Amino acid sequence: MDTKWKNRKNTVSFLIFFLGISLMAAGLGGIWRDKPSDRKLQELPLIVEENYQHSSRFREYISGVLETFLAIEAGRDSRWTYGLGWNYDVYYEADMEVTEAVEGVLMQQYQNDWDMGEPEHRIPEEEREKYIQKYYDAIKGNKNLLYAVYADGEQKHANFDFASCGILSGEGNFLAKGSVTPPDGYGFLLYFDGEKVRIFQDGVEQNVYGDGYYQMEDQWYLPGYSNFPAGDEVKKIRVCMAAAREPMMYMEQYQQVSDDLYWMANSWKQRQDRLKRDIVCLGMGAVLFFLSFLTRRGRREAEVAIARFQGRMWLEFKLLLLFALPLLLLGRHAGSGYGYELWQETEQMIAYGEEYGYTLNKLSYYLGEFVRSFPVVYWSLLFLGIYLVWNDLRYNKRIWRQSLTGKILRKFSARQMGWPPARRMARRTRAVFGLSVFYGLFMISARVLNPGGKQYIWVTAVLLFLGTVFFLAVEYLVGVKNMETAREMEELSRRISDIRRGDYGSGGGTDSGTEEGCETDFGSEGADLSGFGTGDLDSVLGQLEDIRHGMKSAVDEQMRSERMKVELIANVSHDIKTPLTSIISYVQFLKQEENLPDHVTDYVKILDEKSQRLKNMVQDVFAVSKAASGELPMHMEELDFGRLLQQTLADMEEQIGKSQVRFRMEIPDGPILIMADGQRMYRVFQNLFQNALQYSLSGSRVYVSLKAEGNQAAASVKNTSSQELKKGMDFAERFARGDQSRTDGGSGLGLSIAQSFTEACGGEFRWETNADLFVVTVTFPVRRPGGPEEGQA
Amino acid sequence: MGECVLVVDDDREIVKAISILLEGEGYEVLKAYDGLQALDILASRQVRLVLMDVMMPRLDGLSAVMRIREKQNIPIIVLSAKSEDTDKVLGLSMGADDYVAKPYNPQELAARVKSHLRRYTCLGDINAGSRADEIKNGRLVYRTQERVLYADGEPVKLTATETRIVDLFMRNPGRIFPAEEIYRRVWEEEAFSSENTVMVHIRRIREKLELNPKEPEYIKVVWGIGYKMEKQEKHS
Repeated sequence: MDTKWKNRKNTVSFLIFFLGISLMAAGLGGIWRDKPSDRKLQELPLIVEENYQHSSRFREYISGVLETFLAIEAGRDSRWTYGLGWNYDVYYEADMEVTEAVEGVLMQQYQNDWDMGEPEHRIPEEEREKYIQKYYDAIKGNKNLLYAVYADGEQKHANFDFASCGILSGEGNFLAKGSVTPPDGYGFLLYFDGEKVRIFQDGVEQNVYGDGYYQMEDQWYLPGYSNFPAGDEVKKIRVCMAAAREPMMYMEQYQQVSDDLYWMANSWKQRQDRLKRDIVCLGMGAVLFFLSFLTRRGRREAEVAIARFQGRMWLEFKLLLLFALPLLLLGRHAGSGYGYELWQETEQMIAYGEEYGYTLNKLSYYLGEFVRSFPVVYWSLLFLGIYLVWNDLRYNKRIWRQSLTGKILRKFSARQMGWPPARRMARRTRAVFGLSVFYGLFMISARVLNPGGKQYIWVTAVLLFLGTVFFLAVEYLVGVKNMETAREMEELSRRISDIRRGDYGSGGGTDSGTEEGCETDFGSEGADLSGFGTGDLDSVLGQLEDIRHGMKSAVDEQMRSERMKVELIANVSHDIKTPLTSIISYVQFLKQEENLPDHVTDYVKILDEKSQRLKNMVQDVFAVSKAASGELPMHMEELDFGRLLQQTLADMEEQIGKSQVRFRMEIPDGPILIMADGQRMYRVFQNLFQNALQYSLSGSRVYVSLKAEGNQAAASVKNTSSQELKKGMDFAERFARGDQSRTDGGSGLGLSIAQSFTEACGGEFRWETNADLFVVTVTFPVRRPGGPEEGQA
Repeated sequence: MGECVLVVDDDREIVKAISILLEGEGYEVLKAYDGLQALDILASRQVRLVLMDVMMPRLDGLSAVMRIREKQNIPIIVLSAKSEDTDKVLGLSMGADDYVAKPYNPQELAARVKSHLRRYTCLGDINAGSRADEIKNGRLVYRTQERVLYADGEPVKLTATETRIVDLFMRNPGRIFPAEEIYRRVWEEEAFSSENTVMVHIRRIREKLELNPKEPEYIKVVWGIGYKMEKQEKHS
């Protein structure tokens, strides 16, 4: 209820404002148009009150008639040619006759086609008399203008007897002294005494001549001024005229007589009515405008509401209204010249046909007439147009946002946002190609099928220009978009390579060891991403970001758990070592004890073996877990792979000699240099050889070979297993042994340690089984002596 | 009774085991079960050598070593279940003379105790007036004139070939010799399958002069490169 009232109030206050401005504009416009041009604005109330006899038109008419009378009586062509009687309103047949007559009397010298160079020739006297007769016949019936013409004291022509009402004497001399009363209903009285003119309006004599010299500003253009004397020819002529205060229409044989005064008064009255209306309009407008100041808050709200409505309107529609409507209203009548042609051309362009164009013409004609007859509407529309544009610009910051083109573009791109980038780019490329084809065809067709020949050249030119601009604009936009995508692609590939390098942090980000650091890192990254706006690869970048984040946390998690594992194993092995120390020590004492029964000696021997094995296991477990977690300190140096194998074999020679297995070596002469930690690699091959010794078939051979192929040096250890090798078993698995049931021998970590250490040194550790043949290959990248490093761990 | 050795460990069984071991070698053994106890005993008794565990209640081994070092210069051997290189370096830098990882080899431990005591007690004077033809490296002394190697002051019995190898190593401590070079310079022949021959001799030398031949301290293999005599920075 409240809001409804408020809305109504806003609407009313806006209407007050709007109407106020419109009415004021209409009033001012009307006054400006309807005011007689010879009157000043401050005389406006006077103009409204006065009758037509005060108008300049009336004065011109009267002086024209007087001239005609004088010219006829003087018996010659117009001497002064001042009024010439051309100011008659030529409405009817009667008026035409009068005009012809006047022309006949006055214009002889110009009969030959206005040829000023022709010698004067007078029309014959009888013809002249005929014209004069015709003239007087035409005006005689018009009682709106009473006249009497005297020459040499004798009444020549008259349609009223001025003597009867005591104004003139029989000879045509003016009788009245001081105030003069014209005949009833006739407010205007003129008397010409052969030299000067005397004029009475409503019984009051007017000052006709002013200072006695004629100037442009002077109201009356009549003979009698010092610089405009009447002349000798008219000295004997007396004229008296009276004009009706409110002229009526006089008919003669079903035909209207020439009654200019009637029509003059009529149009004067209309003009006065219009002026009155204009003044009322102005007054009402002013009042409303004042009121609108009192209700300006409501008006502002209404303006905002209007602006909101405008904001939803398409820019194209607004432009169409702004330019097309005035063109429609005024175009047909805006004048001549270029505008008119433009309108015509446009019209034909739009309409493609005469009929439709004609309709449009008619429509605009009637609209124009409508506007003319109701100025308020016209001014309101004009004001509304300007006001709405201003209001729109004032409240709606970015009016181009709400445009059909923009909407289509946005919808187009919004629809694309859901698509994968490749599809989007393909689509864009297709669109550009299509546009290019269309543009090419358009250019060709414009050249070949020039529609209307010469007169349409500029239309074609404008179309071509607009087409080119549009084409280039689209090309530019697509190009910009593609550049953007290319930049994002670069960013994407940079991030991918970062992740591949193991750099999971954002580029140049802070140290993100802690979870907190991680979080903030990601936050900043997110903010960074949002800066991309509506890029093609946004979603892909986002996904990559997720992967990076996930991977980072996974790697962190793994590192942490590995560290914890190593710590745990270190603690456990420490805790095992302490009691183990005691065990080993006391077993040692037992071993030294003499006089023990044989079976006890056996027990002690077993204890000794097992405690030694336990010791080895603890150390191995520790080593392998450290190697796996990458915590093993490495001392990388350049060493000879072949020598390493030989040294290891030499080191183990004693063991080998005791076993039933023989070693066959195939190691090339000359150094094969690799980059590794010698101590660790010794452990690797020691384990491999021990493995071979332990699990090889008795009497079989172990083949140790080293080959350098290209950049790779591969050392392989092949042995024939004494046990059947199970297929699909991972021997490098921790605690894996060829025979699950066997309990003697190593810790079961030999291969696992070998693999961990090899990989920690940057080598490659592979094993394979072929029937009972067990093959382990350790591969390292070869370093050229003194050459650049190839493959660094 | 012989020299007095202090064994410090919070594990009583280990202390007992060590004391049995060392008493068997003829030493007098004093026992302590934490660092503070050890310091008390050291204040009251004349102790020639300390065997010190690291992880102990009240006062840990390394702190105790530092406290001892403030007053006395006796040999200290640190015993620890921590076998990492970093742990060893830490222990030695704190002032210990030796570092033995648990579980230790009883013979090795006994040998080390003996070695340290001998050098501390007997060789003190000899070391003071060092001779011109003597090359010293840790507990090894090589007299070039006589071509005799002394370990802890006692001459090591070496064969002619072994003496030549030791001669080569002792004159060039720290330098790495490939097997071929050793072979050429010792046997004075062209090297052929030298690795095994050299290794056999080196192994035998190690057995004669290393305290624990399986974990040699002096003659070491530089894997993939050659062999070298490790230069001992300590005990100079």
